[in-house]
Amino acid sequence: MSTDTTIKGSLGVPMKRKEDPRFIQGKGNYVDDLSFPGMLYMALVRSPYPHAEIAGIDISEAMKVPGVVAVITGKDLEAAGLGWLPTFHGLDKQMVLAIGKVLFQYQEVAAVFAESRGAAADGAEAVQVDYNPLPVVADPFTSKKDEVLLRPDREAKTNHIYHWEVGDRDRTDQALQASEKRIRQRMWFPRCHPAPLEPCGCVAQFDKMGRLHFHVTSQAPHVYRTAVSLVTGIPEDKIHVISPDIGGGFGNKVPVYPGYVCAIVGALKIGRPVKWIESRTENLTSTGFARDYHMDVEIGAKADGTVTALKVSTTADHGAFDAAADPSKYPAGMFGIVTGSYTFPTAHAEVDAFFTNKAPGGIAYRCSFRVTEASFAIERGMDILADELGMDPVELRRKNFVKKEQFPFPSVLGFTYDSGDYHKTLEVALEKIGYQALLKEQAEKRAKGELMGIGISTFTEVVGAGPSKHFDILGIKMFDSAEIRIHPTGSGIVRTGAKSQGQGHETTWAQIVAEELGLDPQNILVEEGDTDTAPYGLGTYASRSTPTAGAALAMAARRVRERARKIAAHLLEVGEGDVEWKDYKFQVKGVPAKSVTMKEVAFAAYTNMGQNEPGLEATQYYDPPNMTFPHGAYIAVVDVDRDTGEVKVRRFLAVDDCGTIINPMIVEGQVHGGLTEGFAIAFMQEIQYDKDGNNLNTNFTDYLVPTSLETPHWETAHTVTPSPHHPIGAKGVGESPNVGSPAAFVNAVVDALSPLGVRHIEMPVTRDKVWRAIRDAEAKKGQS
Amino acid sequence: MNLQYSGEETITADKATVWKFINDPEQVGRCLPDVVDVTVHDPTHFDAVAKVGVGPVRGNFKFKFELQPSAAGDRMDMKITGGGFGSAIDLTAGADVIEAGQGTTKLNWSGQAVARGPVAAVGGRVLDAQAQKLISQTFANVRERLSAASG
Repeated sequence: MSTDTTIKGSLGVPMKRKEDPRFIQGKGNYVDDLSFPGMLYMALVRSPYPHAEIAGIDISEAMKVPGVVAVITGKDLEAAGLGWLPTFHGLDKQMVLAIGKVLFQYQEVAAVFAESRGAAADGAEAVQVDYNPLPVVADPFTSKKDEVLLRPDREAKTNHIYHWEVGDRDRTDQALQASEKRIRQRMWFPRCHPAPLEPCGCVAQFDKMGRLHFHVTSQAPHVYRTAVSLVTGIPEDKIHVISPDIGGGFGNKVPVYPGYVCAIVGALKIGRPVKWIESRTENLTSTGFARDYHMDVEIGAKADGTVTALKVSTTADHGAFDAAADPSKYPAGMFGIVTGSYTFPTAHAEVDAFFTNKAPGGIAYRCSFRVTEASFAIERGMDILADELGMDPVELRRKNFVKKEQFPFPSVLGFTYDSGDYHKTLEVALEKIGYQALLKEQAEKRAKGELMGIGISTFTEVVGAGPSKHFDILGIKMFDSAEIRIHPTGSGIVRTGAKSQGQGHETTWAQIVAEELGLDPQNILVEEGDTDTAPYGLGTYASRSTPTAGAALAMAARRVRERARKIAAHLLEVGEGDVEWKDYKFQVKGVPAKSVTMKEVAFAAYTNMGQNEPGLEATQYYDPPNMTFPHGAYIAVVDVDRDTGEVKVRRFLAVDDCGTIINPMIVEGQVHGGLTEGFAIAFMQEIQYDKDGNNLNTNFTDYLVPTSLETPHWETAHTVTPSPHHPIGAKGVGESPNVGSPAAFVNAVVDALSPLGVRHIEMPVTRDKVWRAIRDAEAKKGQS
Repeated sequence: MNLQYSGEETITADKATVWKFINDPEQVGRCLPDVVDVTVHDPTHFDAVAKVGVGPVRGNFKFKFELQPSAAGDRMDMKITGGGFGSAIDLTAGADVIEAGQGTTKLNWSGQAVARGPVAAVGGRVLDAQAQKLISQTFANVRERLSAASG
């Protein structure tokens, strides 16, 4: 019997990431690392026009380019019934290659297949496309007028895609009318792009039996398999999707892109493997962008600061196709979280989305389906209200927070918040940052005319989609899954329907299983991304892996443990009811000396199982009963140079509550990464289009990714309020820092400028915008 | 990206000579700066290939020209469409042909360019100067060639 006393818990341990030696040494295996005999390269011809009729496409010169093997156009695909691709929520379709006209600049027009990457590029350059330019609709407000119909292919002859609303409009309007104090602010969350360092790409290959092996940068490999089957008609058993190592996804690698379909068609038509890898420009100009929400935010309150109503009306720019991969019942995603951490007695939110001549998308960039926009709206709105009331924004928040004892809290817009302790998280943040001392310093500086700002954001997220009664992609419910096999020597392999793109699943999944089974996480292999071996799942995005696949994994481990208990009883020669799991091993109740480890049970499962079923494995599919609701309190401290408009983020503290923490080091890494993205969004990133529909941010000279030089030092801390319905109480953290931080940054800048009378400033908060705001405010003061 | 330019060239040649020159596609095509090849289709249509460098975008751009001479013989408009490297450039240029005395002729020209695609985005900072050069150099070349021929 066991004398092993060395087994320790694995949950909450800052274990180094098991995958990192591979990545640090350049030994990762990415799609572009793959090479197969006879492989061709594909390049796409893209439209320089944002809106134009295609009068003709001449491929004859391209076919003369040495090495070019074939060229396909929209007409070829249309003839094969592959002209259009359904978008993920099934409410629209997207051209694979342009048919009849192009609808955005850099839209895919033709695909060229060649012996080398260079020949493919030369071939693409030689394709002659005759365009007749059409009037361009470059913003949703012009689109709204319906003067130029962008999508005559649709039944509804309008650019208006949908109207979505939640809450009680009349009651909210009345409450706003009756409010003692009321604020209203238009705020735009600009179009930005997650710009993962590895762009999108794939290799399509049919084997001798006609089976498709599709290596692709996908955050949701199983959904791709089903989607490819639905689009191409290839039976799903003849499709094998493999997502190897992925260099960042952030939602950019959720949708199925036209390039993937072209590569598959090319491989099928030519009979050779086809590789397609996007350029940086292609990634920034044609794949899933983020946000582009114009929000009118109104808040009503009593004179003492008690909030009475919230109303948010949004105009959304979805680009040329409605390709935002939202669940089908939620065209505006989880925007209903816009009441945030506060107890509004009534609220109303509505979103109207429009087509424009811009790239399609909208919900990428670590945002869990529009939660970032919603959080920005409420957290900025609360600061503006505090300014109107002449009240400390901290005090206003404290006054209106949902209280700890109110959980599970039914929000007025329909969510049931699982758990939280907003007051505590804020108090931890205030103490750690030294809020009172900062206020004193700020008062002194203001007296001297210096501009110092403190920005607070106390956000609540909704993540982990999601319960099958509400959430689906292409009709597939958003459950997830896990499978565990324990080997005779006590090591094991774990597979889930999620797919890490840098989140560290190889480590955290091993820790969950090791914790539940008393095994060594170093000997738990995690494998994801191969649809031939992994159980069906909906992938990794929207902070859903830990809430769904992580939950499935803990439950699968508990199933393994129940099977192991029977074998343990056999080994301990007692009845199953006399065996208890304690201190990470099985022991006879009341006789701690009589025990067996999971390692010993595993060996017995293959060598000495008695009357029990041999082997030790389990599979679990998990349909979460609710979403999880991580929250946080973020504080930014900035100094603004009055003469140049330069903003220096002096300090930034993020106190997150993501429930149970599996690996604090990985959580800290996630928070650092997300804060850096939030910082970039707040201060430097925007995909701009001019009025003619030209994309002006097509490369890393014009679309900025912060380096360590610009990035502030991040301070982090945690409170832990476990989720009551998650098997280990975890909530997910991947998106919190990107969701919560933009408002903290902007609130800090506006706070710094508030003595000048500035009440709002749009992102990205660039130096020139700040300088202009200061100049205009000073001019206004001078006049008055 | 919309760009507008104008200028004036005084040519040492009489109006009839200038008018004849600017109605000849082969001659006009050869006045394009850094021209590589000119293919004439008919008296008012020709294609030209020119070397273009805008920031990091460098290579051959193909342009289609359409000459639109006025019936009165005192104004020439040109429609130029083309591009390369996934970019499109649409130019319109026009010149009033004015008798200026002492055997000279004035070309009062103006033009505008619309650029789309990587050229507009990547070369945005330098495109203005490049497009100006393209148009102004073309008219300067017209002057030089004609002046040289008459001199």
